[in-house]
This record gives sequence, structure tokens and C-alpha cells, in this order.
Amino acid sequence: MKTKMVLVLLAAGALYAVQPVGAHHPFAAVYDTDKPLTLTGVVVKVDWVNPHGWIYMDTKESDGTVKHWTIEMSGPSQLSRHGLKKADFTDGMVATVKGYQGREDPALANGRTLVLKDGRSFYIGSVGGPNDGADR
Amino acid sequence: MPSILPALTWLEELVWATSIRESTWGYPAIETTHVTSMVVFAGLVIMMDLRLVGWAFTHAPMAQIQKRLFPWQMAGFVPSASTGLLLWCIDPLRYHGNVFFLVKLTLLALAGFNAVAFHLKTSRMVGDWDRDPEATAKARQAGAFSLLLWSAIIIAGRLIAYNWKV
Repeated sequence: MKTKMVLVLLAAGALYAVQPVGAHHPFAAVYDTDKPLTLTGVVVKVDWVNPHGWIYMDTKESDGTVKHWTIEMSGPSQLSRHGLKKADFTDGMVATVKGYQGREDPALANGRTLVLKDGRSFYIGSVGGPNDGADR
Repeated sequence: MPSILPALTWLEELVWATSIRESTWGYPAIETTHVTSMVVFAGLVIMMDLRLVGWAFTHAPMAQIQKRLFPWQMAGFVPSASTGLLLWCIDPLRYHGNVFFLVKLTLLALAGFNAVAFHLKTSRMVGDWDRDPEATAKARQAGAFSLLLWSAIIIAGRLIAYNWKV
């Protein structure tokens, strides 16, 4: 009976081992720190939500086409702590985001710094990324 | 089979759901309550399960351990389950697309089934747990499954963050 119990607990332990490689380092698994970006474009929409906020931005490429970006931010409590408010965003406004491009999705980015048209800049980075935000 | 997506969209767009999803302190408070009450629940379930499989408190009657721990397990379970339901309500579309959340739901159903089966069948023999080998064997199985399932549920819950899509 004891052997059966040991086997059951080993099976439970195996569940700990069967995790995707990126599970402990979500930033590095999804985003590429070797691909820094500076995006200036029109903010089409902002999701000011928990657990992570999102900026949807359209930028003009060098060949004239429009690229639709999805940019990950941190959540409302972190953003508020860095001085940003939901009211600082208006659909259709121009802004600049510095961050890192997604590995699998080239239209995905992790935002670290947001610079508004009035010149104010905010740290919008999520936990796990490099510490290179505006006010760090 | 009709899609549940319209229903999930309706739920997500409710004013109170949106307000919590966009909150500065509300969402972190709900999430924190979910985890801390889960800690109480899971810790006490693990201790009871360890008694069931015969690894802890072996000199204490099983019936006593179960009777004393149950109200405290419920004190942890009720807030954890209600905050869990609330967390789901405020972003149902994102959870719907999350493989770890779907796994967690399945495992929760199995854990619930295991607990109900245990309470219905084996708790009838509650006086005999420590004497009757058949009751002891059934209690051991229930305890082992519970340990396995609740560990997997907690792991799946933590991994939800890593399958979070836009």
C-alpha cells in the first residue's frame, strides 16, 4: 500500500515537471530583448484592464502600409503608481511607445515606456522585463 | 452545438464586470483574497488527506480529524470559490481561450466528484474508518486522489497567467 502511495505522489510530482519551458520566464518566452522597438503612431484603442493593459496602435511603415500593433502594458494599479491615468488616453491620439517585439508574433510588443504628445513619459512595463523604463 | 461566445460577451460587457476589470484596487483585492483563502483551504485539505493515506496524525481517529477540520476548510473554500467565480465573470472570453483554465475547471469537477463520492459512501462508515480495512482502503484512495487533484488544480491555476492571450 505504501508503494502505491509513493507512486501516486511521484505522479503528482511529475505534474510539476511537465510545464512549458517558458513558464518560469514568461517575458523571455514571449518577447525578444534583442528586438527593441520605438513605435510612434495612432492609438486606436486602449484596454485599461487587469491583469494587463493593452495599447492598440497603428504605425506607418516605410513602404506606406499601416501596421497594427498590440502592445502589452502592466495593470491599472501599477500604471497609476507611475502617474498614468485612463483619462490620459484618447482614441485617435498620437503617442510613442518603446519596448520589445514579440518572438512568435511580430505585431505584438511589450511596452516599457510611453511618451505622450505633451512630452510626459511613463513607465508602463510589466514584471519580468528589463529594467529600462522611463523613471527607473 | 450553439456557441456560448455571445453569452460570454454579454457577461464581459456588464457594467459591474467592466468596472472591476478596470479597477485599480478592486481586482487586486479579489485576486489576493482568492489566493489567501485558497491557502487555508488547500493546507487543511492536504493535512486531512495525509491522515487519510496514513502518513500524518496516525494516532488520531480519522473521524475526529475530518470533523474538526471541515468547518475551517469551508471557511477557506467559500471565499476562494466565490472570488474565483467573480474573477471568471469579469473576463470570461479570455478564460475561455486559456488552456490552463479549462484544465483547472476539469480538475475541479473531478475533485468535487471525488469529495462527494467520499462523503456519500465512506462517511457512512465513519465510525469504522480506523477499524474496517475496506473503509480504510476507500479512505486512502479518496485521500490520494484529493492530494493529486488539488495539487494539479493549484498548478493549473498559477499557469493561467502564461497562456494569457490578447
